[in-house]
Amino acid sequence: MKLDRILGNLVLAIFGFIALFPLVWTALNAFKKNVDIISKVPKFFFTPTLENVTYVLGRHSVMAGLTNSIIACGTSVLVGVVLGLPLAYAIARYPNKWSADIQFFVLSIRFLPPVAVAIPLMVIWLQIGLYDSLVALIVTYSLITISVTVWLSIPAFQRVPKEVEEAGFVDGYGAYAVFWKVALPVALRSLVGAIAFSFVLIWNEFLMALMLSSTNAKTLPIVASELSQQGMNVPWGILNASVVLLSLPPLLFLGVLSGFLSSAFTRRT
Amino acid sequence: MLSKTSLPKVFTIPTMGILLVLSMVPTIFAVIIALQNRVLGQPEMDFVWLSNFIDLFSDRRFLNAVWVSVKWEFVTVIATMTVAIVLGVLMFQYASPRMRNFYCLLFIVPVLLPRVSAAFVWKFAFHPLYGIVTYPIRAITGKPVDLLGNANAALYVVATVDVWQWGLLFAVIVLKLLETLPPQPLEAAQLDHAKGWQIHYFITLPMLRAPLISLTFVKMIESLRSFDLIYVMTRGGPGVATETLDMYAFSQGFIEAGKVSYASSMAVLMMVATVVIFTILWKRVQS
Repeated sequence: MKLDRILGNLVLAIFGFIALFPLVWTALNAFKKNVDIISKVPKFFFTPTLENVTYVLGRHSVMAGLTNSIIACGTSVLVGVVLGLPLAYAIARYPNKWSADIQFFVLSIRFLPPVAVAIPLMVIWLQIGLYDSLVALIVTYSLITISVTVWLSIPAFQRVPKEVEEAGFVDGYGAYAVFWKVALPVALRSLVGAIAFSFVLIWNEFLMALMLSSTNAKTLPIVASELSQQGMNVPWGILNASVVLLSLPPLLFLGVLSGFLSSAFTRRT
Repeated sequence: MLSKTSLPKVFTIPTMGILLVLSMVPTIFAVIIALQNRVLGQPEMDFVWLSNFIDLFSDRRFLNAVWVSVKWEFVTVIATMTVAIVLGVLMFQYASPRMRNFYCLLFIVPVLLPRVSAAFVWKFAFHPLYGIVTYPIRAITGKPVDLLGNANAALYVVATVDVWQWGLLFAVIVLKLLETLPPQPLEAAQLDHAKGWQIHYFITLPMLRAPLISLTFVKMIESLRSFDLIYVMTRGGPGVATETLDMYAFSQGFIEAGKVSYASSMAVLMMVATVVIFTILWKRVQS
């Protein structure tokens, strides 16, 4: 009995270490000089340098990628919220014979292989003359953000107690006022989780951005991946620093998303 | 209960209209392009109907890519679910509430990383000369090991990264699911002096059958999105050892020959296969 407890905790501790250590190591390397990174024995102690970070932040391509990422992700998440939340609410509160089919259709958008969407879209955007533009990326991404937002928000609206909404009707609110003034505020915490999830998904997206942009509309993940192809002399420190920069925004949502996971799984009956 | 209102229609129709257009246009176009012989940068094209599809089946690289994708699907789904269930049960069994919260936060971190970042983090770690993971092997044998350059090992190394991202997240979900179970059957089993693993094997995991199947389903869909990991870590190499279908379609369509139609015919086959398979599975899970 005692022994399995120790062994169990040991396994957990090892996996906790595996979860975080590679990241910590990358972050450390971002502050090392190249000589400290390519040493024979890994160095845990070194004199830190800001060279890599300032180099990355000072590069025009990185800043352009960051701006593109922020605009493309921000706008498509907003589109997902504006169009997705009402649909999710209608499915959750006014179910009809179509609801199950709509839900399945929204989920089935996730089945589509990204290449299968990206190839025709590339041809289409080229023909319209919008290839390599943020508009093309935003429209493409909206397909993803709308479907993710709908899918994750349906349970959030379903968890709003019916009585609260009925009280709203009794107070003389119409259906729209109940949605706006009762359901949205009550469900807000879970909805923020769903929205954060769609942001993280889009921020991390790679294949579509790679195929739909060539120079102007490149997002940060593409710029970061290109840094690795700079000749034979790999700038390790710079690469590590750009990986850290790329990873920071999604990590900001760690708290929100872990709360979302907890609330999504605890109120089952 | 509710008086008649226009809300369901107003809230449903515009969004569904947009979703239908945004998903059907590329889908229909993908099929049309697959029936042609378009090449990037060349204006002339014709309908060649099914000849792209016929060519695929005598293309050994395509058949290899199908096989690599199937292997990838099996390896990542099985490994993810195993890691998730083992770690979830261990947390449930042995970790104090405070440690559980701590591990949950820790285990969510990898999945939040962009795949490109995760791929780089581990590419550094597996670097034959400077990598931290390969360091012990270097220190003991004195020789560098290039696991990502090894045709037999590369796919599994990349799969490790995928499991690192998803298995740890799913462990958190398994723990949350275990916490929602009613405590009585567990307590009864403990009174009967059942061992920890017996309780989970015979009682809790069977009770969680339905959500665990749904999780597996989600992972099967997510495993199809391996492009970014493979693109950054191996580019399909060494040789064609890690060339999955989307990687091969990408290199046919963009890197090597610009054969957009040929690439699209592959994508269409993938689309048909995934939609058919997942629709059948989903309907089964639901019933």
